[in-house]
Amino acid sequence: MNPDYGQANLRKIFFLFLIVFVTLLTGCWDRKEVNDLALIRGAGIDKKQNGKMELTVLLYIPKGGSSSEQGMEGPGGGGTMQTLIRSAQGNTIAEAMSILQEKLPRKIFWGHCEVFIFNEAIAKEGIAEDVDFFIRMPELRERSQLFISKERARKILSLLPPLERDLAEVVRELGEEKIGMTVTTKDFAEMLVSEAGDTAIPWIKILPPIEGQEEKRTIAYITGTAIFKRDKMVGKIDDSLTRGLLWLRDEVRYSTISVTPKGKKGFVSMKLLRANSKIVPKIRNGKWEVVLKAEADDDIMQNTTDIDVTNPKVVKALEQQLNSQLANRVNETLKEVQKDMKADVFGFADAFHREYPEVWKKEKHRWNEIFPNVKVTIASKIKIQRQGMQSGHPLISSEKGQAE
Amino acid sequence: MELLSRHLVENEAFLKSTFIDCPDVIFRSFLIGKETKALLIYTEGLANIEEIDKNVLSPLMQQETEGIPDIQAVLEQKLSVSKVKPVTDTKQTVQEISSGNPVMLIDQQLPGITIGLAKWEKRAIEEPMAESVVRGPREGFTETISVNISLLRRKIKCPNLKMKSLVVGRYSQTQIVYMYIEGIVDQHLLDEVHNRLNRIDIDGVLESGYIEEFIEDYPYSPFPQILNTERPDVAASGLLEGRVVILVDGTPIVLIAPISLYSLFQASEDYYQRFMIGTLIRWLRYILLLIALVLPSTYVAILTYHQEMLPTTLLLSIAKSREQIPFPALIEAVIMEITFEAIREAGIRLPKQVGSAVSIVGALVIGQAAVSSGLVSAPMVMVVAITGVTSFAIPRYNASTAIRMLRFPMMAAAGTLGLLGIMLGILAIIVHLNTIRSFGVPYLSPMAPMKGAEMKDVLIRAPWWSLKKRPRLTGYSNTNRQPEGQKPNPLKGTE
Repeated sequence: MNPDYGQANLRKIFFLFLIVFVTLLTGCWDRKEVNDLALIRGAGIDKKQNGKMELTVLLYIPKGGSSSEQGMEGPGGGGTMQTLIRSAQGNTIAEAMSILQEKLPRKIFWGHCEVFIFNEAIAKEGIAEDVDFFIRMPELRERSQLFISKERARKILSLLPPLERDLAEVVRELGEEKIGMTVTTKDFAEMLVSEAGDTAIPWIKILPPIEGQEEKRTIAYITGTAIFKRDKMVGKIDDSLTRGLLWLRDEVRYSTISVTPKGKKGFVSMKLLRANSKIVPKIRNGKWEVVLKAEADDDIMQNTTDIDVTNPKVVKALEQQLNSQLANRVNETLKEVQKDMKADVFGFADAFHREYPEVWKKEKHRWNEIFPNVKVTIASKIKIQRQGMQSGHPLISSEKGQAE
Repeated sequence: MELLSRHLVENEAFLKSTFIDCPDVIFRSFLIGKETKALLIYTEGLANIEEIDKNVLSPLMQQETEGIPDIQAVLEQKLSVSKVKPVTDTKQTVQEISSGNPVMLIDQQLPGITIGLAKWEKRAIEEPMAESVVRGPREGFTETISVNISLLRRKIKCPNLKMKSLVVGRYSQTQIVYMYIEGIVDQHLLDEVHNRLNRIDIDGVLESGYIEEFIEDYPYSPFPQILNTERPDVAASGLLEGRVVILVDGTPIVLIAPISLYSLFQASEDYYQRFMIGTLIRWLRYILLLIALVLPSTYVAILTYHQEMLPTTLLLSIAKSREQIPFPALIEAVIMEITFEAIREAGIRLPKQVGSAVSIVGALVIGQAAVSSGLVSAPMVMVVAITGVTSFAIPRYNASTAIRMLRFPMMAAAGTLGLLGIMLGILAIIVHLNTIRSFGVPYLSPMAPMKGAEMKDVLIRAPWWSLKKRPRLTGYSNTNRQPEGQKPNPLKGTE
């Protein structure tokens, strides 16, 4: 055998070992065991009197370990608590976080933080600086949801919800229901850098606890939307106006509408199955206009009148009423948000930019003047698809109502 | 080469000195007729003594005629044995005696005669232990090469089934036979097999594994490059695809070469059940292969580096179960995997009577005690259990061993570099698989090099009537398996 061959083989093995050991040397430098992590479930940001901000985090306590059924006791009768609240102050979130780390024996882990709650006071001053941290920090999920709260964020995070594991889970699930707006950090950042740059974030407040219950045994729930001019909060709209906002933003997923048929008593309630809306911008003779084209399919859920909903004529009439109700809602929302708050959270600016790029380039700087005067027309097509399982004669006898 | 002498005395002296201290070699002197001396040499226990007495000794000793009998006359008139062969040289004589064939030498006569009356105790044909099927033939190869050859001959009853025999092992003198179908097999492959087998020089061959290691292309690869089977139907299907089957005396395991990686994930039953089910099961195996390879390492990587990748609820429950565990995830995984391998190995080696004890201990140790004592977490037990089961779903035992072995470096890579390490590991394995060949056939063919038509037998198990061609790289000298248009159709033949 060639003697060089053995040499070359030896060298090969030597290099192989070298490569293997080099990887092992780097070994584990950023290893972090689950046991050493402080799993943050949610964070809240409040404003303090001294001008600093306060960061409050909701931590999960992994207890119960090997023997299985311990977590069931819950926080109810003073049993094991599954969550923990810690706060720290600082000029920025990053600073507050490092101060917070001093108070925690485990490494702060943001990877599972799904909820951020801002107090109203700090929202009025602007939250872009804080959101910058959320976007910049690689550990953080861009899908975590943002909320604005009436009460102190710390107080909300310290609630002990009776049904879910912790408050962050409650608020997240509520947000995913998409009854109101759902805004993730990514959505918020996108809105900020859009043409108009105005934003909106769902508004939460504490649900009063059931009588006789402990004060903390409750949750916070979404009720309305906080409207932002750029990143500064300028106002708040309630639930029903939020629905108008959702129609304009094509975010309507669930909705139940009740209408009273003309000349009848009682209501017909309908459930939304599918909804699509589209903003069509138009500049006509220097006038800026927007047409909201909405299409939706509804199912009848309940009928407390004596009308026969299997009759196509009646259905047509109901559809008409639904259309006008939608128009009313949207108009009310527009009145508050467009005329009073002058915040373009509907994406009109982007729509105009896409449709008329040349004009937009010239008129962009005037957008703040133009926006409140944009005329919005609503062209909706709502269809009632099904009458539900009860398809025969109405259960309510016609004597109660008027004869046809 | 030393020739036998004409004088019986010389031959006897030579053989006696060769077989000194071999009391199982019996020398029986007798007279043919009145004065012709003859000698019968056989090995006790390897020769059929009854037949020798009846058909060799008694007709010869009762010979009446005078004078020196002609060897040809003896063969033609007296020896009522079907298998006789002349021997002329001493070496061959010795070998025949060693392998059980009695040899008869007659004074003043050449050549000597081997009488094919070897017979020894052998195992009956049984169901193969390592490759059981629900649907399919139940016979398996045995330790006797002549039986194995007959099993294959019964599957392929065609004169084109050829075989070449050689003897390997200076001391063991093991008979090795390689079989092929003339007209299908590629001549270059045949030459290569012949050359590689003839290069082997070893003192003894006790199992076909010896041969496998001598003739494979990449001795340092963990992946088997030669298929082994104890099922005649698997061997026969290999022959029909233009592969060479190598049988080794003394073992029920025969070798099939060349193969590709995908052969290791094809069970014979795939071809016997309905093709849709065969396809599904084949896909299941590919998925299970991946799980067996990367599940523990992925778990380790995610738990030590990428906690954000888990769904929150899952992470919380894992965090809960890991709270009391003293070891890092990597150590935990290695401990559990080694425990599992220990139980598996013990289950194979232990006498059957104690086997059940192992499974009880195993179930208790890894199932319950480990978790409740706080040494390992419950999710880790799950991961190891799933990995164990998936690795057994690979039909070839040697392939599943390779995968199980590769799991450990993968875990180390995951523990040091996280998911990046796993990707590097998989990359290294794929690169390696691309470099190796089995008797010149690329290991990943027909995937790399790509040959679309052959995916019929890799990605899916196409129905038999559509498998019209043989694998390109082993059967290119005779590509067609069957004519076109055999898809069943009720209207066929009526028009």
